[in-house]
Amino acid sequence: MSSSPVAGPAATGPSSGSDTAPVGRPVPDRPSGGPGRHGRRIRPVSAGARPGPPRRVTRYWPQYLAISPYYLLFSVFMFFPVIYTVYLAFQKWDGIGEMHFVGFQQFRFLWDDPVFWLSVRNTLVIWVLSTVPMLFLALVLAVLVNSTKRFTAFYRVALFIPSITSLVAIAIFFGAIFSNNFGLINAILRSVHVSAVPWMSNEWTIKLVIAALMTWQWTGYNAIIYLAGLQAIPSELYEAARMDGAGPVRIFFSITIPLLRPIILFTVVVSTVTGLQSFTEPQVLFGSEAATNPNSGGPGQAGLTTLLYFYHQAFDNNDFGYGAAIVWAFFLLILLIVLVNWRLVQRKERRP
Amino acid sequence: MDLSRRRFLQAAVLAAATAGATAACGGGGSGSSGSKDSKNLTLWYWSGGLSDKVVADAKKHFSDITLKTSVVGGDFKTKLLTGLRAAQSAPDITGIKGEDIASFLPNANRFVDLKTVGADKLVPEYLSWKLKQATTQDGKLIGFPIDIGPCATFYREDLFAKAGLPTDPAKVSAELATWDDYFKAGVELHKAVPKTFLVNNIGSVFTMVIGQGTRRFIDEDNKFIGDQDHIRTAWTTAVKPYTLGIDAKINDNTWNAAVSGGALGTEIGAAWHALDISNAAPGTKGKWRVASLPGGPSNLGGSFLAIPATSGNPDEAFKIISWILSPENQARGFTDAALFPTAPAAYKLPALTGGDPFFGGQKTIEIFGPAAEKIPAAFEAPADAAVSAPFYSELTSIEAKGKDPEAAWKDAVSQAKQIAQRQGVK
Amino acid sequence: MNGLNRKRVRGLSVHVILMLGVVVSVFPFYWIVVMATNTSQDIYSYPPKLWFGGNLLTNIQHLFDKMDFFGSLFNTVIVSVCTTLLVLFFDSLAAFAFAKYEFPGKKILFALLVSMYLLPTQLAIIPQYEIMVQLGWLGTLKALIVPAAANAFGIFWMRQYTSSGVPDELLDAARIEGAGFFRQYWHVVLPCVRPALAFLGIYTFIAAWNDYVLPLVMLVNPDRLTLQVALAQLYAGHSTDYSMVMAGVLLAVIPLVLVFTFFARGFIADATKGALR
Repeated sequence: MSSSPVAGPAATGPSSGSDTAPVGRPVPDRPSGGPGRHGRRIRPVSAGARPGPPRRVTRYWPQYLAISPYYLLFSVFMFFPVIYTVYLAFQKWDGIGEMHFVGFQQFRFLWDDPVFWLSVRNTLVIWVLSTVPMLFLALVLAVLVNSTKRFTAFYRVALFIPSITSLVAIAIFFGAIFSNNFGLINAILRSVHVSAVPWMSNEWTIKLVIAALMTWQWTGYNAIIYLAGLQAIPSELYEAARMDGAGPVRIFFSITIPLLRPIILFTVVVSTVTGLQSFTEPQVLFGSEAATNPNSGGPGQAGLTTLLYFYHQAFDNNDFGYGAAIVWAFFLLILLIVLVNWRLVQRKERRP
Repeated sequence: MDLSRRRFLQAAVLAAATAGATAACGGGGSGSSGSKDSKNLTLWYWSGGLSDKVVADAKKHFSDITLKTSVVGGDFKTKLLTGLRAAQSAPDITGIKGEDIASFLPNANRFVDLKTVGADKLVPEYLSWKLKQATTQDGKLIGFPIDIGPCATFYREDLFAKAGLPTDPAKVSAELATWDDYFKAGVELHKAVPKTFLVNNIGSVFTMVIGQGTRRFIDEDNKFIGDQDHIRTAWTTAVKPYTLGIDAKINDNTWNAAVSGGALGTEIGAAWHALDISNAAPGTKGKWRVASLPGGPSNLGGSFLAIPATSGNPDEAFKIISWILSPENQARGFTDAALFPTAPAAYKLPALTGGDPFFGGQKTIEIFGPAAEKIPAAFEAPADAAVSAPFYSELTSIEAKGKDPEAAWKDAVSQAKQIAQRQGVK
Repeated sequence: MNGLNRKRVRGLSVHVILMLGVVVSVFPFYWIVVMATNTSQDIYSYPPKLWFGGNLLTNIQHLFDKMDFFGSLFNTVIVSVCTTLLVLFFDSLAAFAFAKYEFPGKKILFALLVSMYLLPTQLAIIPQYEIMVQLGWLGTLKALIVPAAANAFGIFWMRQYTSSGVPDELLDAARIEGAGFFRQYWHVVLPCVRPALAFLGIYTFIAAWNDYVLPLVMLVNPDRLTLQVALAQLYAGHSTDYSMVMAGVLLAVIPLVLVFTFFARGFIADATKGALR
């Protein structure tokens, strides 16, 4: 984290108002860590000590007012809906007519629904196919950028760009280059006399295309995060290791990886949560009306992810109760996978 | 990024104001006003759902009404369902696809009963079996029929000639009268022109065979019958082109490229499918012909115009509908957008009896006309589309994964049963 | 000498591999331009055209015939700008309270905020849809702007920055002059946290611009779509005319990429910090 151009606000120039003093780097008497949490507690707040302490909640109305927009919006548009989704999962409801309480029936259907399990399998396969190469390539790229001093700014920008690009646009682009009949990829294969691959109709290649899309979009982003982690590793450690005669591979595995572990954990958790939520990719890729059902996830439902199945049930079939059951079951599954991931990485950490 | 505080505040206030304003403007749509004499009406349809020319003329014809038309992309049914719930966004007139009409019947109260706004007088002029599809059990009519989908075989005359197959429509109709004849011709075609396949996918064959019967997946007593012989036969027929290697297995958007590139020797589909073909492959003009469908007439799709209950002016809306769907305008719709008329009076108009240059000047009415008369009217339950879905996805599984057809059949049936149960079918 | 050469070769090969990564990252943009400037027939043909053609204007013409591009663009700009400004205001204000003040329930409230950070939105989307129906907001841009007007990530990020970037001395000085909470926010906090606001603003803007799921569910009227939904529908309905669709993709993607490259350096540095906290 050595190079961070925007870290200090000093660069913004003289601002209007009373604060002519250079605002900027954390004031020296509060060195590092989380200054906001400890040292700070007393001073600003105890300003209220002036008129004597009537410790009533109403005194804090400005603070409560300041934080209220988020909690208000959160309760209305997130908290209440999430709870209501639980309620819905026990109803049969088409969104227009009346609700009927059906107990655990939706979950029983879910348990017996092969399409649901297919969608879970698809989601997991796509997740593995994308996350593993993504994080591996990201690490390689980060180590390479870290090993050089030239063009690093350029590399960062170029590698980061995919992550800010519209997913819809990229899905359309991938649909075009992987097209069975005219895509660039098949044209390249043909030019080297390999027969064309029907990318968009085979069960495995469909998943590969979706995974490639996700890998393309997020590898650079993860590389930049790893890079920040790498730059925080003191170079003395490397020098000491080199003195001991350790080769680059050994240094990588015995210094870089262990010190990067928290960051790796972070990227694993984030790519698990986001990777398992893939929806837009298959929805756009197979949204073409040439297929019988635009939300079926493509030939053989090979690109049907769980969230696409959820969308299909809730907003196409208007089976909102079943949709609610799907999305809750899936959320619990994500939670489980994240916890397992967490445990795995943690356990490795404990090992000496 | 020098953002002065004042400007920031101004912008934030502006943002809040705009958010409020867009909300206010949101009410500008027609449906919300509550009064039933609005002069601003909106019409939703999908690309190819109506003849754009007829719609443009309707705008001129009803000069005291501002008719705003929107071509809705994506999944039309989903959009319409959302539109019906969003009072402010609901259209005043909307198209409903033939395959979706049944699923809207249980919510008929969301639509105006067209018999109350003048449809009762017009009913005798239109095909009764088609009107029945949009009629609830208590007799409400929620949709007025745009077109029907009498099915036929579209075939490439030039490729048939290359393979030594008959080329004359009457002869093709006679010699490819059964599905087995049709598949046999396909094998010869593929042998003579290896890059050409007979069918685009086996789901289309399945659709055709189902449409040839009078029973579908659910019967009048709301009982699941998707595991019975008539479906099984359709399935077996559909799988044949796959095993014979004459299935192009196209389940994605490359259909267009396949049609223009000559990868498909035939297309089986409804009359309106002609527009898809001519749009996708304008370069093949004159090379296509139309023959009768193997195994007898079948119907696929054929949509409706409906008036949502929130419509700003149902009376005027129905006047527009009945104008757009008058026999004369239906005839124009046939030439312009391959919409096969639902008013038999139109069948005698020159637009239908003339030759179609895309089909080498063939008088396609000679094929579609008799097919339209003999269409078997099948009962379609509201949950029919949902219950039939697994059959189609399992058929594509055969094509995409090489899944064993027998296993696929079993899976399809068990999934369909489960969906039926979820949808409240016995 | 030999060792030096080897070192140079190794250095060179690092750049070669990195350039390969850069090419893969950037290639789609090049190829989108190639497809958008040629005809659909060129795209279908083999061998494919590898260089720009002269058909861009015709394709854009077709695009404008098929979709209300500027209408969608306008909607997208409204949504992105409104969301961004509201997020900046609400989040920085809440962050100030969390960073510099103590008040009953603060710890619990903040813990709640952090723990809800990764809650998937899909879990709430059906009831959200119903709420929008009840409010009469379904199909309007409000349905997108209001739920997104304040978010946990922004508060979290701004709090970090506010606690270290706003000196207590300044707040104390302001307080001695009699400034209350909101005046402090206005005169002291806002000027100090501008760099963090810049990052949060760009981040929010990009996220709002690219959002697809919520607009897909909430918007319905064909003339009131955002670019992403309109683009997906254009593709679904007209996947035959690839050059036209690609012209749309190009027009939708390029502005954002240009804006981003302009702000990129600072943004990336901040993005990684946000991640590492």
